[in-house]
Amino acid sequence: MSFLADSLEHLVRGIVEHPDDVRVELITTRRGRTLEVHVHPDDLGKVIGRGGRTATALRTVMSGIGGRGVRVDVVDTDR
Amino acid sequence: MAETAQQAVESEPAETAPAEGDTKTEAGTEHSPEADEGLVQEGDIAGDYLERLLDLLDYDGDIDLDVEGGRAVVSIDGGEDLDKLVGPRGNVLEALQELTRLAVQQETGVRSRLMLDIAGWRADRREELSELGRTTAEQVAEAGEPARLKPMTPFERKVVHDAVAAVKGVTSESEGEEPRRRVVVVPET
Repeated sequence: MSFLADSLEHLVRGIVEHPDDVRVELITTRRGRTLEVHVHPDDLGKVIGRGGRTATALRTVMSGIGGRGVRVDVVDTDR
Repeated sequence: MAETAQQAVESEPAETAPAEGDTKTEAGTEHSPEADEGLVQEGDIAGDYLERLLDLLDYDGDIDLDVEGGRAVVSIDGGEDLDKLVGPRGNVLEALQELTRLAVQQETGVRSRLMLDIAGWRADRREELSELGRTTAEQVAEAGEPARLKPMTPFERKVVHDAVAAVKGVTSESEGEEPRRRVVVVPET
């Protein structure tokens, strides 16, 4: 499963101002698996995109490469 | 994105997202050698971004970089795994193109109109859609009645618009909002 997290991390790193602050964690709960994307607060808007367009693109690519049923959540590192 | 209902039927030049390449004329836009240099750089950045992705996924693929009709073109060809990067009706390909454009923009500071093709999907689809555009245009020219096609992506609509433009006596426009935006072919008045 780690290739999913690694791929997502790479895709996100390429589109942000602070690539070193990008971290993706695969979290498994009883309700399923979630890829949590942590980014620099200033990059939050970039990763989500206009109308959620970029986040949707990230989810679409992840589902294509085998992450169907895996949630992708974008999280603010400040929290 | 701020498209309102009364804007829903409009002529192509007023398209709200011109960068998506939905106008009929832009394939022929002129460009200088300096502009080409920028496009080569776009291709290089995109190539690095996608090559690393293929590495992480352990997919076989050759990346080919080109400049065509005033935009950078990146094509990936290789093993069957690549079909996963195309997805149903090319939706994964569109998403990956979007991300690749953002990655290029992040480095150059300029919005990119780069085109990504994987496993020849766009080339095949283009042929199909050109045929659809041509036959629809001919039917409309003959019957004198407009024809409404099914919703398509900006890329698909552009191919249809181009094919319609080559037929006399008809014109085409897009109506509706993404992702339900569609081409309407109408008889010329």
